[in-house]
Amino acid sequence: MGPRWKGKGSEAKALAVPISRSILDLQASLIESNSHGMLSGCSVVLASNAEQTDLLNQTCFGRPIITVDKDKQWFQLTFEEAFYLCFSLRCINIVGGDNSVKTKDQLWEYMISKKPSFPTFFKAYSHLRIKNWVVRSGCQYGVDFVAYCHHPSLVHSEYGVMVFSEGNGNDRLRVWSDFQCTLRLCGSVAKTLLILHVNKTCENAIASPSYLDGYSVEERTITRWNPERCREDQVIVETRKF
Amino acid sequence: MEIEEWAASSGGSSDSEVTAPDSDSEENCYAYGDLPKLQFRKDTSKACWKEELGMAEIVSNKGRMWTTTGIARGGKIYIFLEDILFLAEIGALHLLDDEDKCIPLEDIYKKVAEGVGGSSWESFEVYRHLKSLGYIIKRHGVCWSVKRDKRVPAFVEGESGSQRIINNGNADLSSITATTELFSAMQITELRPVFDVYPPNSKFRKSNPGNPIFVLCISTGSPPTKKQVEDLEGKCDGVSLKFCYVEHGRVSFFSFNQIELPVLP
Repeated sequence: MGPRWKGKGSEAKALAVPISRSILDLQASLIESNSHGMLSGCSVVLASNAEQTDLLNQTCFGRPIITVDKDKQWFQLTFEEAFYLCFSLRCINIVGGDNSVKTKDQLWEYMISKKPSFPTFFKAYSHLRIKNWVVRSGCQYGVDFVAYCHHPSLVHSEYGVMVFSEGNGNDRLRVWSDFQCTLRLCGSVAKTLLILHVNKTCENAIASPSYLDGYSVEERTITRWNPERCREDQVIVETRKF
Repeated sequence: MEIEEWAASSGGSSDSEVTAPDSDSEENCYAYGDLPKLQFRKDTSKACWKEELGMAEIVSNKGRMWTTTGIARGGKIYIFLEDILFLAEIGALHLLDDEDKCIPLEDIYKKVAEGVGGSSWESFEVYRHLKSLGYIIKRHGVCWSVKRDKRVPAFVEGESGSQRIINNGNADLSSITATTELFSAMQITELRPVFDVYPPNSKFRKSNPGNPIFVLCISTGSPPTKKQVEDLEGKCDGVSLKFCYVEHGRVSFFSFNQIELPVLP
């Protein structure tokens, strides 16, 4: 299943403005304005100027908060999004309630305390983002993330992503009816179920984000095979631009 | 671009629901007396049950099905219980005992229930589902054909260790049955490759079958773990793998595909 573009001209638009370029622009802009996000519960709240607003929307980082504030636009970011901007792209700082800038280790510790699965989820999120996939929450589809090959206004998402960590084995899809349920859900919105297996290479790998490089990610799709409809001897392999 | 436009379109609700054609049609609920009955065919083949092999030997073959069913050994065709039951249910085969008397369907069901020759009800359901759709199926680990003159030294692993049997033509059959008995002795929950599945093909030749389109593993318990999938892939020599399970008479098939998402522009 290749990308399903929305309407004529979407693919061309996407080729004209690749996500990687928008992200570089976003990075530069945030660095220039010395942007700071505010830790709040399980979110990070970030103010943005007009240019950054456009770029955040184009690259799908965060959700805009609609307010009366005329001077600034406000966004709320998930842990993964905030940590990616802060730690991977190094373009924002994050402050705590006491207005002090958090170090990466402090942030890491805080996020894990709120969400124990954060390390594996972040590894999976950054694995996709590094390849320039657009990654959003998948909770309304019963999965962890949904992945698009460009902006959701131009293309339907191809993958419903679930994150499995080593050692936890199959505590997510434990019995066959779990598979049936998730696959049916994914299938009804034309997404392929993608499992990202995150493997930690050493025992204490959650102690610090510097261990993230030592994690590995394996990709597996799970698909139903329908013997009534399938003629596998006619598989055509296309090289994809996206 | 207006912020609302981008924001609204970046919401998840922009993904439209696509209703895939539902392959699960409504189950027909039959009232007693309405159940359809199959008729015996005019040209019914005959096979002789061989207790010691847990298989039957075809003695009279009618119809075109024998190009795609059964294994050829020493110029004869042998069939497993799933082949027998499938053909018996549709009236295409009479199974005969030593005295040439027809073995009734009930007794064939009993043999499957007992797991004779490495068979099982679930593997039969899977077999029947695919066979009815025209797929060509063979037990994994068994050859379609062995030439008549070949003296095949066979390893037969019994409980007492391995024995080497050299016997013209029958060696391979004994090794097959030993393997199948080994299968039926395995734990029910053990996941293993059961069938090699080939696409429907009117020109199929047992002497030159080509590669199966996939090897099928039947799960009776939980879905496979990543490690189990990897171990099985390692054993199947590059042929793709599928997993299925049977519940309440419905067979569901799944693929666990290793992929690598491309780096996008």
